[in-house]
Amino acid sequence: MSFLRRFLALALLLPALARADTFVFTAIPDEDESRLQQRFGKVADYLSDRLGVEVQYIPVKSYAAAITAFRNNQVQLAWFGGLSGVQARRLVPGSEALAQGYEDQFFKTYFIAHASAGVEPADQLSDSLRGKTFTFGSKGSTSGRLMPEFHLREQFGEAPQKIFSRVGFSGDHSRTIAQVQSGAYQIGAVNYSVWESELAQGKIDPDKVRVIWTTPSYPDYQWTIRGDVDGRFGDGFKERVRRAMLELNDPELLASFPRQRFVPASNSDYAPIEATAKAIGLLDD
Amino acid sequence: MTDRTGSSAVLFQLARQSLSYGEQRVLDDITLTIRHGEKVALLGPSGAGKSTLLNLLYRQQPECSAWQPQGGGLVDLLSVYQNIFIGALDRVGSLPALWNLLCPLPAHRRAIEALAQLLGLQEKLWQSADRLSGGQRQRVAIGRALYRQQPVFLGDEPVSSVDPLQAEALLKHLLEKHETAVVSLHNRQLALDHFDRVVVLRDGRICCDCPASELNAARLDEFYQQPDSPAYERPEPASEGWVIRTS
Amino acid sequence: MIALSGLLPSRGSSARTLNGVCLLMIGGALLALIGADIQLYSVDPWQELSRIGLGLLQPGWRDFPTLLEAVGQTVAFALLAVALAAPLGLLLATVFHWLPVRLLCAALRSVHELFWGLIFMQLYGLSATTGLLAILVPFTGVFAKVFAEIFEQQSPEPARTVPPAAGGLKRHLYTLIPQSWPALVSYTRYRFECALRSSAILGFIGLPTLGFHLETAFKQGQYSEAGALLWAFLLLIASIRFWLRPRLIPLYLLAALWLLPETIGFSNGGYLWQFISSDIWPAAVRAGEWGAALDWYAMMFNEQLWPGLVQTLLLTQIALVLSGVVVLATYPFASRALAGPVLRWPGRFLLLVLRSTPEMVLAFVFLLLFGPSGLPAVLALALHNGGLIAFLVANDSDAERNGPHARPDDPKGLMRYAYIETPRRFPALLALLFYRWEVILRESAIMGILGIATLGFYIDSAFEEIRYDRAFLLIAVTALLNMLVDSLSRRLRRLARSDRAGLLSRRH
Repeated sequence: MSFLRRFLALALLLPALARADTFVFTAIPDEDESRLQQRFGKVADYLSDRLGVEVQYIPVKSYAAAITAFRNNQVQLAWFGGLSGVQARRLVPGSEALAQGYEDQFFKTYFIAHASAGVEPADQLSDSLRGKTFTFGSKGSTSGRLMPEFHLREQFGEAPQKIFSRVGFSGDHSRTIAQVQSGAYQIGAVNYSVWESELAQGKIDPDKVRVIWTTPSYPDYQWTIRGDVDGRFGDGFKERVRRAMLELNDPELLASFPRQRFVPASNSDYAPIEATAKAIGLLDD
Repeated sequence: MTDRTGSSAVLFQLARQSLSYGEQRVLDDITLTIRHGEKVALLGPSGAGKSTLLNLLYRQQPECSAWQPQGGGLVDLLSVYQNIFIGALDRVGSLPALWNLLCPLPAHRRAIEALAQLLGLQEKLWQSADRLSGGQRQRVAIGRALYRQQPVFLGDEPVSSVDPLQAEALLKHLLEKHETAVVSLHNRQLALDHFDRVVVLRDGRICCDCPASELNAARLDEFYQQPDSPAYERPEPASEGWVIRTS
Repeated sequence: MIALSGLLPSRGSSARTLNGVCLLMIGGALLALIGADIQLYSVDPWQELSRIGLGLLQPGWRDFPTLLEAVGQTVAFALLAVALAAPLGLLLATVFHWLPVRLLCAALRSVHELFWGLIFMQLYGLSATTGLLAILVPFTGVFAKVFAEIFEQQSPEPARTVPPAAGGLKRHLYTLIPQSWPALVSYTRYRFECALRSSAILGFIGLPTLGFHLETAFKQGQYSEAGALLWAFLLLIASIRFWLRPRLIPLYLLAALWLLPETIGFSNGGYLWQFISSDIWPAAVRAGEWGAALDWYAMMFNEQLWPGLVQTLLLTQIALVLSGVVVLATYPFASRALAGPVLRWPGRFLLLVLRSTPEMVLAFVFLLLFGPSGLPAVLALALHNGGLIAFLVANDSDAERNGPHARPDDPKGLMRYAYIETPRRFPALLALLFYRWEVILRESAIMGILGIATLGFYIDSAFEEIRYDRAFLLIAVTALLNMLVDSLSRRLRRLARSDRAGLLSRRH
């Protein structure tokens, strides 16, 4: 196998084996993905200062790519969503949730509706949603897919495809808002913090689109680290990373995520997410 | 069919061969034997099946035949030299052949230069084939056939685009250089002058197969005339030598 | 029979078969229209659309070095991939008559570059290797097929005058390859443009090419940045003929090697074996529980494969016929003979925009306009592919304008369009259309945002849910479907007695 691997490495121009002592992390923020390299490069510098090893940031496009990189050991630390964190930790035994954002302890999803849909805000989702068009965010998103689908199934006892006349995946929270605001979809499910920030920026016209229901809170984004980092970067490395995260207080760095600060988290915090994912068939037992 | 060459080895043999393409019968019940040393001219109106017959013959002796198809089979992008060199591809290894594409092999270069002189192509030797006139292209094709250096020549109207004087000289040279030849022609006089046997095809059938000495231009003309066309009443001028007419 | 077809002149094309094929395709599309998921919703898109329009008119990019770097890497991936894929394809094309090679190539090209990217990402992480292979692998399949077709179109005569004892290698070297050289070169040039598009699109899954920034900007509604990227890409494509000089290619290749992004982090490629032996098989198969495995396959068939297949075929059929309409409607505006030397520039610009704008962007704009259904998908696919074919057809028309068939007394304007250009281009047009059928089938993967569950939608979901067993099954089925469509279109092309290699060879 090792011969074959070496041969493949040569034959397929496998990139030069990058410095094995570099600690690499990735992160996809839930809003504003522009200039990732510049913004998270600063986080890398902060971590490098605190940890005494070279730290690099690698930008990825999707949770699936982040999980793959985490599993391949291309990155050792990742800022995952609730669901993607669970998926990643299932694939890499020994990996741990280190810390989550302060806001992530009680994350929410908003159901939003275009004015013409004629759906009134209420304490729970009503039958007036039936037959409307509906869009999730990205397929692997916790706030844009997992939790809204869970609550839809719970309240209607049916798959979303049965409730709505059409179910789309906008791919992104900002897209969800744009598509519902333009009436392309009548209903959408969106990460509450993205909604609040776009509302503050004046990108949302309240006459056209409004929140009709808010989900109960659930845990979301968290830092997850591979279990084998202590072996590679020295004993206690994992704890030092955790401390570095919890003590991160530079507002500019925190704004990249964007979170107020980080608080401790553990794998068990995400048991409800795992159970939910299993309940709606996104994870196999 | 008469056996005029006695005990020479049989090179080509067809026995009651027929060939159809879809509805259309191209060759119909052809029986033909050609022996070593014969020079056979193949005549007949367009569409009579001459090319098809020559193709069939080539398939019987591909190894020892120099084959010149109607279009010449030139490769446009290659120079005259390379086009002639193709005839020698079985005599050179793969690597020299590859090298020759970049830089001509000296021995072949000399031989082909001499050949080009003979063909009147010495000025054009390094031009690509697509820059040549029809007559020049045909001479390149003849060059390739000669450079095959085989005992048998099979040519499908090999000199049709060359001017009449040169045509005669080239045909003579081809017949000298090959012990056996089967050549389709549309110039009947050339056939009578230079071949010892004439085979006339019409509508896929052999309608005449006899020594050239037993034929003359007037007799040959009869084979070309169409019973159902107005031209039947109006004999072709004997001097013209070829017929351009489709049925 | 093969011997015979070489011996005898083939029968000429008949307008009747051509018309029959067209009617069949149009009839199929009309039938598909009944079954397809096409609807109109009343929408209020003007706020968003005006922002998009404004962004396109006022492109802005604050970070110029990043833009340059993205352009450079887009070119680097495309150039290296084509430089490797074309010779490989040439080698495979010489043995293309061998069935296993044909099947292998069909399998390679039946999987979309994005999915190849996702597969190789499992093995090589987010690296230059992944990006290179994601273009290289499907392109090799395409090159092999098209090169073999170009070979097929060459006259067999030169090869038949080669001494039989010379053998295949020398025969190819002296006849087939020089005979088809112009066509090979011009197709490779054309394919390079496709590679640039693929390279840009691969940014969608994380390679640092233009698509990386474009997707982000577009997703986040930063339309002036998206506009800048789109313009940069259009400029890149439009200027190919000015900078892609044969003599400079070695230099470019060296620069491309140097430009390839450095792989960050250690990616050991060590998951290859696990990926092949375990990841792509359902748990039940791995455990040898055949009853459960059967249930799994039945579930996949009922819930994803069958419905996905039906939607994919319906949309593809409509998009194909609509592409044909787009071609017929747009190519005259880019043809020198029809639009004139000056007026054809707006037409050429339109075709450039159509073929270079990623379908995802087109689909999004139409989604805003018409609401979510098959309609935006069909329109996006038809405009993109129609624009591409119209570009090729217009080039063909330009190349033949002073050709041997041109007559000084040829009619002008509409009559020329109806009596000269269109009939002359039609067989090639049809052939290109059939060829794009495969491509449209692959591209149907973009329909996720429209809520249309095509096979591509399910494949994308499977990757997103890290369910490689599902992804593998779906990709395998898509590949089979592609092969089927390929052989069908091959047959239809034969019927139409087309001449695509001829078209491509005359383009430059």
